[in-house]
Amino acid sequence: MINIKTKNFRYGFNKGLSPDKVSLLMGLFLLLLLPLLVRQNDYILQVFTHALLLATLALAWNILGLSGSISLGHAAFFGSGAYASALLSLDLGLSLWITIPLAGFIAAGLGFIMGLICMRLRGAYFALATLAFIEIPRVITDNWDEVTRGSLGLVGLPGFPSLNLGTWHIDFYSSFTASYYLVFIYFLLLLGLVGFIFRSNLGLALQAIREEEIASQAVGIRANSFRLFSMLLSAFFTGVSGACYAHLVRYINPGLVFGLHFSAIPMIFAICGGRFTIIGPALAALIIYPLDQFIFHPLIPTGHEFLYGAVLIFAVLFMPAGFWGSIQRTTN
Amino acid sequence: MWTTVLVSGISMGSFYILIALGFALIFGVTRYFNLAHGELVVLAGYVAYWLWNVYALSFVLTFPVAILVLFLICLGLKRLFARLTEPLELNSIVLSFGIAIVIQNSMLFLFSGNYRLIRIPSLNKSFHFHEVYMSYGQLTLLVLSLIVIFLLYILMYRTYLGKALRATIQNKEAAALAGINVTIMGTFAFCLGAVLIGLAGPLYGCTHYLYPSTGHEVTLLAITITIFAGVGRLSGIILAGWILGLAEAFTVILCGSSWREMVTALLLLILLAFKPYGILGNRES
Repeated sequence: MINIKTKNFRYGFNKGLSPDKVSLLMGLFLLLLLPLLVRQNDYILQVFTHALLLATLALAWNILGLSGSISLGHAAFFGSGAYASALLSLDLGLSLWITIPLAGFIAAGLGFIMGLICMRLRGAYFALATLAFIEIPRVITDNWDEVTRGSLGLVGLPGFPSLNLGTWHIDFYSSFTASYYLVFIYFLLLLGLVGFIFRSNLGLALQAIREEEIASQAVGIRANSFRLFSMLLSAFFTGVSGACYAHLVRYINPGLVFGLHFSAIPMIFAICGGRFTIIGPALAALIIYPLDQFIFHPLIPTGHEFLYGAVLIFAVLFMPAGFWGSIQRTTN
Repeated sequence: MWTTVLVSGISMGSFYILIALGFALIFGVTRYFNLAHGELVVLAGYVAYWLWNVYALSFVLTFPVAILVLFLICLGLKRLFARLTEPLELNSIVLSFGIAIVIQNSMLFLFSGNYRLIRIPSLNKSFHFHEVYMSYGQLTLLVLSLIVIFLLYILMYRTYLGKALRATIQNKEAAALAGINVTIMGTFAFCLGAVLIGLAGPLYGCTHYLYPSTGHEVTLLAITITIFAGVGRLSGIILAGWILGLAEAFTVILCGSSWREMVTALLLLILLAFKPYGILGNRES
C-alpha cells in the first residue's frame, strides 16, 4: 500500500560536514558522556532521563505533526501504552521485552480507532477531536476497577530486568546511569527512524499534504491513508514511550498518564523546537525540561509549569518555525 | 424520580448554556477558538471565592467584580489573539492552549491546589412543587441563565449592535463590505464574552468544587455545545445545552457519576465525526 523508499536527497544535511551535522553530533556526544560529566549525580541523571523520554515523545508526536495535523490527544496513546505494558507484566508476568512492543501495538490499535473517527477532519476540528478523545481511555481506565484498579493506579510495577552481559551485571533498579543509557539508546533509535521517515517517500508525502493538500491529492497521494499511517506510527512510539515510563517510574495512575501533562508537552516541544525539522522537538525537550526542573522549579515550587505555556505562546506568536527551524532558515 | 432527573438536567443544562454562550459568541464573531475559556470561568470563580472568603463580600456583589476582572483580562487576550496569522482557527487553538496552561499555573500559584467551594447554605435547601423536588440552587441557576439568555436575545435580535454582530458571525467579509468595523465587533464580542464568563464563574464556584485543573472540563463542555449548535445560532446553543445537561443527568442515574465525564467527550466525537457543522446549522463557507 505505501512505498517507503529512501532517496538520496542533497539537502544540507547530506552535503558532508555542515554546521547542522556537526552540532548534532556534538550534542549526541555530550549526551553520551553526560553521566561522566555530572559524576553520576543521580538527580541530574534522572532529570535528563526524563528529558530524553519526553524527547522521544516529542519525536513520536512530530511524526504525525509532519502531516500538519496538530494532535492534542497523544496522552491517550501514552496512557494506554503505559497501562497495557503495566497490566501485562504485572498480571500475566510477561517479560518486559515482550510487553513494551505489545503496548506499542495496542496504542497503535487505539490510534487506528482514533484515525477512523478523526481522519476526515482537518486543522482545528482534528485538534478538538483528539482533545476529546483522551477522555475515553481515561474514564474507562478510571472505572474498570477489576482490571485496572481504578483511580488508585498501579503500584509496584516491575522494573527492567537486570542484564548480564558477559562479566558486566547491569541492574536497572539501583543504577540511574543504566536507566539513562537505556532511554538514550531508545532515543537514538527513534531519532534515526524519524530521520529515515523524513527523507523517505512517506515523509515527503506527509510534508506535501501539510503544505498543500489538494495539490498533493492531485498528484496521487491519498491524504487520509498517509495521515492514518503516520498516526499509527506516532501512536506506536508514543505507546512504547508510555510503557518505558511505566517501568522506569514503576507507578502510574489514570490522572497522571492520561493527563494534559503528557499530551500538552510533546506538542509544546515539537512546536517550540520546530515542527518542520527532525531534531527540533528533541532539542526543545532537552533544553526546556531541564530548564524547568533545575531553574524554575526551585524558584516557583507551585505553578512553575507556566513555562510550557509561556514558550508555546512565544513560539506561536514570534517563531512559528520553532527554535531549530528558525536557526536552520537563517543558516541556509 | 424521573422528574428530579429532568429538573436536574434542565437546570444544569441551562448553566452549561451560560458557559457556552461566551465561547460561542467569541468563536462566532472572531473565529478564534479560545481553549482557555474554561480556565477563565474558573478564574472568575476563584476571584469570587477570594472576595467572598477573605473580604466577606456578599455573594451577589462578587459578580460585578468578577465581570470587571474578566473584562480586563479578555481585552488583553484579544490583543494577543490579534497577532495571529493564518490559519486562524488552528493557531488560535494552540495559542489559547498555551494561555490556558499559563492561567492554570497562575491559579495554582495564587490559590494552591486545594478544593474550594463557595458555600451558600440557603441555596441547598430544597422545596417541592407538586411532587417535583428542586433545590433553590437549581432554581437560581435556571432562572439566572434564562434571564441572561433573554437579555442576550434582546441584544442580538432587537438592537442594531446585535444586528452588526450577527452579520459579522455570518460572513466577516460581507459585513466589512457593508461598513461594519469587524475589529471593533471582535473586541465587543470579547467584552460580551467576558461579561458572560464573569457571570458564569461565581455560579460555577458555588455549584462545583474549584481547583486549578477543572478548567479543562469546562472548556470541553463549551466546545461541545458550540459545535453541536453550529455557528451563530442562539437557539441551537439552548437546545444543545439542555440536551447535554439531560444526557449527563441520565448517565449519572443509569451508570454512576464517574462516567459523566465521558458523555461530553463522546458527544463531541460523534458530532465531529458525523456533523461538524452543527445539528441545526448548515454548511458554512
